[in-house]
Amino acid sequence: MSALLRMEAGKLFRLSSVRAALVLLLVFPALWAYAPGIFEVYGFFLVSGFQVPALSLLSSMEFLMPLLVAIIAAELVGIEAMHGTLPTVLLRPVTRSSWLLAKLLVLTVLPFLVMAYFLIASLAAGVPYGFDAFVGGTGLGEGGLIGQGTMLPVDAARELVGAYLLAAIALIPVALLSVLATVVTMNAASGALATLAVLIVMQLLVVFPSLEPFLLTRHLSAYTDPVASVGWVVTLIALYSAAFAAAAVVLFERKDF
Amino acid sequence: MTQAPAEQAAAPSIRTEGLGKRYGRRPIVRDLTFHVSPGEVYALVGPNGAGKTTVIRLVSGLAFPTEGTVTMLGKDPQQHPEVRRRLGAVVEAPAAFYPYLSGRANLRLHARLAGGVADERIEELLELMELGPAADRKVGVYSLGMRQRLGVAGALLTRPDVLILDEPASGMDPLSLHLVHRVLRNAAGRGSAVLLSTHHLDEVAAYCNRVGIMEEGALIDEVDLDRRRDRHRARVDDPQAARSALQAQPWIQEAFLRAGQVIFHLTEPAALPRVAPLLVEHGVGLQELTADVFDLRAYYRERVSAERLKRTGVEIAPEIGRPGTSAGDVPSEERPS
Repeated sequence: MSALLRMEAGKLFRLSSVRAALVLLLVFPALWAYAPGIFEVYGFFLVSGFQVPALSLLSSMEFLMPLLVAIIAAELVGIEAMHGTLPTVLLRPVTRSSWLLAKLLVLTVLPFLVMAYFLIASLAAGVPYGFDAFVGGTGLGEGGLIGQGTMLPVDAARELVGAYLLAAIALIPVALLSVLATVVTMNAASGALATLAVLIVMQLLVVFPSLEPFLLTRHLSAYTDPVASVGWVVTLIALYSAAFAAAAVVLFERKDF
Repeated sequence: MTQAPAEQAAAPSIRTEGLGKRYGRRPIVRDLTFHVSPGEVYALVGPNGAGKTTVIRLVSGLAFPTEGTVTMLGKDPQQHPEVRRRLGAVVEAPAAFYPYLSGRANLRLHARLAGGVADERIEELLELMELGPAADRKVGVYSLGMRQRLGVAGALLTRPDVLILDEPASGMDPLSLHLVHRVLRNAAGRGSAVLLSTHHLDEVAAYCNRVGIMEEGALIDEVDLDRRRDRHRARVDDPQAARSALQAQPWIQEAFLRAGQVIFHLTEPAALPRVAPLLVEHGVGLQELTADVFDLRAYYRERVSAERLKRTGVEIAPEIGRPGTSAGDVPSEERPS
């Protein structure tokens, strides 16, 4: 299993979607940091470097981050079908489930790596604004960007890390759903598209208020707009993740290659 | 190679019983029963779409049969994936490798997945498959033939007891083709059971032990090339007397007439010098004694054409520039009923 894990982790950084994501996530925060029309459009000025990561997160979790994670996950599985390497690997004394579990484990860690990179890139983009105490809020806590008076750097950092951590956790089932969709289609593009279709449908289901606490998409913004307690969110995400992973393994075990 | 117990060595390494595969209602493979013994080379031949690749995937455990059973070294490869420790296989044509890794790095990766193979073995195989100079180049820039040779090298990594190869010589130049077939023949010589699908009838006819002819998912014929290869042909003035004389000898397995000549099969090749004196002793004039060369290609065309004619009413067009391949050219004694 450790050989498989090393192999899959190594593959991750060779994926074209990962390379594209690294560039995109580097450029994206800079758009906020240097956008000349931010006041005209949104009615606020950035006053602290801590606000750049918050704005980056707020503006990306709705669509961009799920999209990136879904594409990366789909490519990690689908590229094996594209290159024809999947049968070659499965002909070794490797069980199908262990091969897929290695990918699932790597993709469970992926959102944390992506969000950590995004946070660092966002902080780097916020350097011109400085990281001193400031009057206002990060945008992630009470009072939004207006805040509740002076915010100390340590409090701002705590808010950012907590929000990014929760966002990373919320992205795990997106990655695993993408694996499931790719196992069904054995095609990276179809897998990613199917994942996005499911997420969009879930977003529309908010019109059924009783379903809202159970919708995965509703918890993508749990870091700033929680519909339930953190414990509930984490439990629900764990259940979604386990269900997607189990379904992917079961389907993969019976798949013809 | 793993040392098999004596009782296992005698048993077939690959065995299928009534194997079938259908996608929806469409049967791809139908009621396929065959076996491959240790040290034997078995070639599956047939037109494109005959179901050869599906059989290869069913036997290697990549696809699930909808009917029948497959055993590899006595075990179901689906239920016992550990049996693949003794399997070497190439199921893609061209063989699939990670294009961003070098040939050597790909083999090392496979060596790790196989549970560990010495670096010396990897180097040995790279040299054997004449890939030494290209070993550090990325596989993405390899030619079709180089990938195929790397595929064979990967299949041989663990000195497997069972080798399964789908079109191992696809896209190869004549020299590489010869190399691959030589390597496979040597692997069989060391005791591996080799199952391959191919269109290279002339090459496999030279060293395969048995050939299974597939058409529309079914095994329509199985040819024992060993028996055909050891046949001799005698042109004599009294064929009936010659056949009777030969049939009575314990060192003659079978003797029959074809086109006025006597065809006979020796139990052992060393007995050949005894044939001429025997015929003279029985008053038979011997005009010519020669090996009876079996034309697999002609036989294949005959069988597939007959099967297709029976099924669709359409006959296969004669092969251009190759006399002796029409249905009537295969001697009637050779044709199965």
